[in-house]
Amino acid sequence: MLVPMSWLRDCVDAVKSENLPAFMDRITQTGTKVEGLTLPGEEITGVVTGRVLSVEKHPDADKLLITKIDIGEKTIQIITGATNLTVGAYVPVALDGAKLAEGKRIKKGKLRGLDSEGMLCDIGELGRTRYDYPEAPENGIYIFQEPQPLGADVRPLLQLTDEVIDFEIMSNRPDCNSIIGVAREAAAAYGQTFTPPEISLKETAGGDAAEMISVEIKNPALCPRYIARVVKNVKVGPSPLWLRHRLTACGLRPINNIVDITNYVMLEYGQPMHAFDIDNIAEGRIIVRNAAAGEKFTTLDGVERTLDETMLVIADPQKAVAAAGVMGGENSMVTGNASAVLFESATFNGPNIRFTSRKLGLRTDASARYEKGLDPNLALDAVNRAMQLIEELECGEVVPGIAEAYPEPRLPFKVGYNPASVSALIGADISAGEMVNILSRIGIETENEGGETRAVVPTRRRDISREADIAEEVARFYGYGNIPSRETQTVAAPGGRSEKQRFADKIHSAMVALGYCEALTYPFESPKVFDRLALAQDDPLRNAIRIQNPLGEDFSVMRTVTLNGLLESLALNFNRKNEYARLYELAYAYIPKSLPLTELPEERFTLTFAEYDKKGTDFFDIKGGLEELLWALGLDGSRVKFEASARYPYMHPGRAADIFICEKGGRNPKLVGYAGEIHPAVCHNYQLGERAYAGVLDLECLFTFSAGVKRVFKPLPKFPSIQRDIALRVKTEITAAQVEAAIKEKGSQLLAGIKLFDVYQGVQVEEGYKSMAYSLSFRSPDRTLTEADIDKPMKNILENLSKKLDAALRGLQ
Amino acid sequence: MEINFETLRGDVERALAEAMDIPSLEALRVRMLGKKGEITQLLKTLGTLAPDERRVFGQKVNDFRRVFEQGITEAREFLQFKQQSQAIEKETIDVTLPGRRRAIGRRHPIASVQDKLTDLFIGLGFTVAEGPHIESEYYNFEALNTPADHPSRDEQDTLYITDRIVLRTQTSPVQVRTMESMKPPIRIVAPGKVFRADEIDATHTPVFHQIEGLVIDKGITLGDLKGIQELAARHLFGENTKIRFRPSYFPFTEPSAEVDVTCHACGGNVPPEGCRVCKDSGWVELWGCGMVHPRVLEMSGIDPKVYSGYAFGMGIDRITSSLFGITDPRNYFENDMNFLAN
Repeated sequence: MLVPMSWLRDCVDAVKSENLPAFMDRITQTGTKVEGLTLPGEEITGVVTGRVLSVEKHPDADKLLITKIDIGEKTIQIITGATNLTVGAYVPVALDGAKLAEGKRIKKGKLRGLDSEGMLCDIGELGRTRYDYPEAPENGIYIFQEPQPLGADVRPLLQLTDEVIDFEIMSNRPDCNSIIGVAREAAAAYGQTFTPPEISLKETAGGDAAEMISVEIKNPALCPRYIARVVKNVKVGPSPLWLRHRLTACGLRPINNIVDITNYVMLEYGQPMHAFDIDNIAEGRIIVRNAAAGEKFTTLDGVERTLDETMLVIADPQKAVAAAGVMGGENSMVTGNASAVLFESATFNGPNIRFTSRKLGLRTDASARYEKGLDPNLALDAVNRAMQLIEELECGEVVPGIAEAYPEPRLPFKVGYNPASVSALIGADISAGEMVNILSRIGIETENEGGETRAVVPTRRRDISREADIAEEVARFYGYGNIPSRETQTVAAPGGRSEKQRFADKIHSAMVALGYCEALTYPFESPKVFDRLALAQDDPLRNAIRIQNPLGEDFSVMRTVTLNGLLESLALNFNRKNEYARLYELAYAYIPKSLPLTELPEERFTLTFAEYDKKGTDFFDIKGGLEELLWALGLDGSRVKFEASARYPYMHPGRAADIFICEKGGRNPKLVGYAGEIHPAVCHNYQLGERAYAGVLDLECLFTFSAGVKRVFKPLPKFPSIQRDIALRVKTEITAAQVEAAIKEKGSQLLAGIKLFDVYQGVQVEEGYKSMAYSLSFRSPDRTLTEADIDKPMKNILENLSKKLDAALRGLQ
Repeated sequence: MEINFETLRGDVERALAEAMDIPSLEALRVRMLGKKGEITQLLKTLGTLAPDERRVFGQKVNDFRRVFEQGITEAREFLQFKQQSQAIEKETIDVTLPGRRRAIGRRHPIASVQDKLTDLFIGLGFTVAEGPHIESEYYNFEALNTPADHPSRDEQDTLYITDRIVLRTQTSPVQVRTMESMKPPIRIVAPGKVFRADEIDATHTPVFHQIEGLVIDKGITLGDLKGIQELAARHLFGENTKIRFRPSYFPFTEPSAEVDVTCHACGGNVPPEGCRVCKDSGWVELWGCGMVHPRVLEMSGIDPKVYSGYAFGMGIDRITSSLFGITDPRNYFENDMNFLAN
């Protein structure tokens, strides 16, 4: 909320003498935060008052004039194209080097051969508009209405020096959305109590508003209070400069005295007000009712709107005259011809106004205030203040009396509190007396009855309903800075991460050690991703959760596959000519149990990694990395199985594998994920011009395996091993896994390791076959083996290879 | 037998000194100790001598042999050393040539700050809790004292899945889930992603990260909250950081506070041309906190007459930006290797 300091200083004595930074700091520390400070004339320098001494035609230009301007210490020549200058006029003069609004800079120079030592300013060049200064000409130099001292800074003369503070007002404090609200906080911050100015009225019109107007509220839940006052002999015209300046400083546009007064009071009291032409209120009857479904109504801005039955209107017996709390109707607006004006000061239900405003797509200064919920007891003071201004500005005669409906007057409520427990909650030693003092500064009186302490909370403070709220008020003005900090707190139990969180940490460490950088991607993405990943139209992964109000199509579905984000990131790196990218992410896939969602979906914890390298990388780099990762999780090669898989449409059908984890001894393999090369067509979809590799692991599943691993150290071998190398001639289609299985089957207890060290296919091996060279090691836990010991297992192995796989030792066939 | 050992020794020493490489040294060794070597020959004559003479002469020959062998060993070591030195000299490389990198990965900057904060709180006895991203309206709002018509609902730019299910706008629902499943004393932190309908720009991303903290016990005070927040801020920004604890408002805490620290850009001394980072205030708003609202305790089945507690919610992205001087949060989600490995 914008607050001109001049206005606040008029309200609060303590602020008057305080320097600005100190004030801003102080009020911020009591909870009314200064968001920003603007000095309206800040950007304008070097503009002084001058008096026109002469105006002559430029000899070489029809549209230019030569002026001599007295700026006090000297007289300067300025060439201008302005047409509204007369000798003797007082004008703003921008001197050489001056800065004007919007960063415009003035330098002396020549115009058609003649020196011009500055520029005469129009109101726009001083950062103001004709709304603020109606006396300014539409096209032409601003001319001061009265003589001015010469050579003086124009800013104070044009009221361009008033600092305006932007306060952040919390949503629980609608009462602070006003000058007096902020004034109350400011006074309290300085240990004072704010007293609102007294209002006295002359009420010269005669008659009684209550007899002229009747008010009926059909739905008190949506309109707790409605007050109408009447002003006769209205003279519509411009408001005085001071009032216009205050409105402008607060971001409002001055319009005419009647509208300006309602706006001024809205700023000052926080109470929106509306003025009706009384002649357009049929029978003088105000009826506050719900709109009929489909009721048409044209608002002040000339737009016809269709209302529904949840919306509240102000009506007369024949028609609606205003959308309550949002905007008045065209049919009852005040024009220059109005003989009498009805001023409405009413209270409406906040949420209802918010919904109406949202449905109509119409947010006004009034609705913005009503939305937050106003105090019905504000309405009378505010309307009386408006009447006072009407009288002071002589724009009408106030009719005595008020027309009002206030079915259930809201009374101050009492909140019991125990000073000792307030003090305990804050953790500072604050006496009951000090609490009473603090509270009374913000209008909360304390009463003691039967040993109970109760705060009497004014109705404007609906945010205060229990002891904790009282504690906050006390703490705010006691000073958060004065509360002693306590760092040593008793710890009841050791903290830490859960097993699963530690498991995730292990994965992070392993991935980082393997050279992957951790990435972050958005969990929502475009439904087009499914096409980019080449998913079939009926692929269940297309059943994604949709966001009702997404930030556009690109962020509209919750991902069911985690791969897309990293593929996009790879493409970004590729486009930025990065030589390689190796990324991983621990993220979630969101799998609905049914659509539309009736219960929370499964959030599947997933490890995703993806990479490309212009220097080349292949499936086995990825696989090796994965094996290292799984090993770090306690899952050695005996428990991990890779099986060729062509079932992922986005993976290369011949270069991808399903990954299984088995129970000890290789039983019950369970699918935990997949890895391999990204399908070249999919790379193309992502405009990724390099072979890319990726893998996805289900971490929930992996965790159950990893959690079951008990890490036990086996004693280091005491006896040396014996090695045998064999080169096998194997049919091309036989996999390494098959060969290994056949070796293991007959390897006996002594077989300690199998290592494939060469695979060869080419001229040395006949067509349809390949050569696979293995190094087998044998070891006994209790003795040194001799060559003879392994003759038998070797023989068995070779027989088995021959029988099962038609594999023979090379050179023997 | 008369042998002049002095002369022999002189000869041998000269020969040793003249042997410039291992082969000539070996030749010398064979000359003296080979089957027909001079020393071997002398030893062979021992059998022909009378016992007395044999003892004296044998002694002399053996002494000479020992001296010779030692000379050979020393000369060999010297020559080997010389040979090795020459070879090593030829192996000299330019150590300023670029190394062959074995690229190690990095944690994401946000994750590293998240971990740093989490570790701080673990050290203070906190347990790490988690909650779902797709959350019921009840946990995200209602149980946090933010009913449907609450004005702060508008400020929160919630992304809705259905009318009752939302993408969590804050990590605070984990507070409620924890209080429902645990009995006090409670000390948890809950880091994680949160979602808002904020358009992506230079200061906003629709996904960001928070770390939620919750402590419930008997006798917890605003002073405890203040102490722990100051501790966290100093831990992050250094011992000399000035910290301001200022009243604020959140529906689920009462009293509420905001933690500010001195601006990292201008250090709290706003220069005449102004400071963009702190908007000339000298302070940067870090995170919100407060005493858990008694209504929230009640809704979670905890008696506010017996227990009190505090909660805080730190925006990790913003803290990370402050710490690392990152000016555009969009960088966090692009995953450019140059950024991540930075």
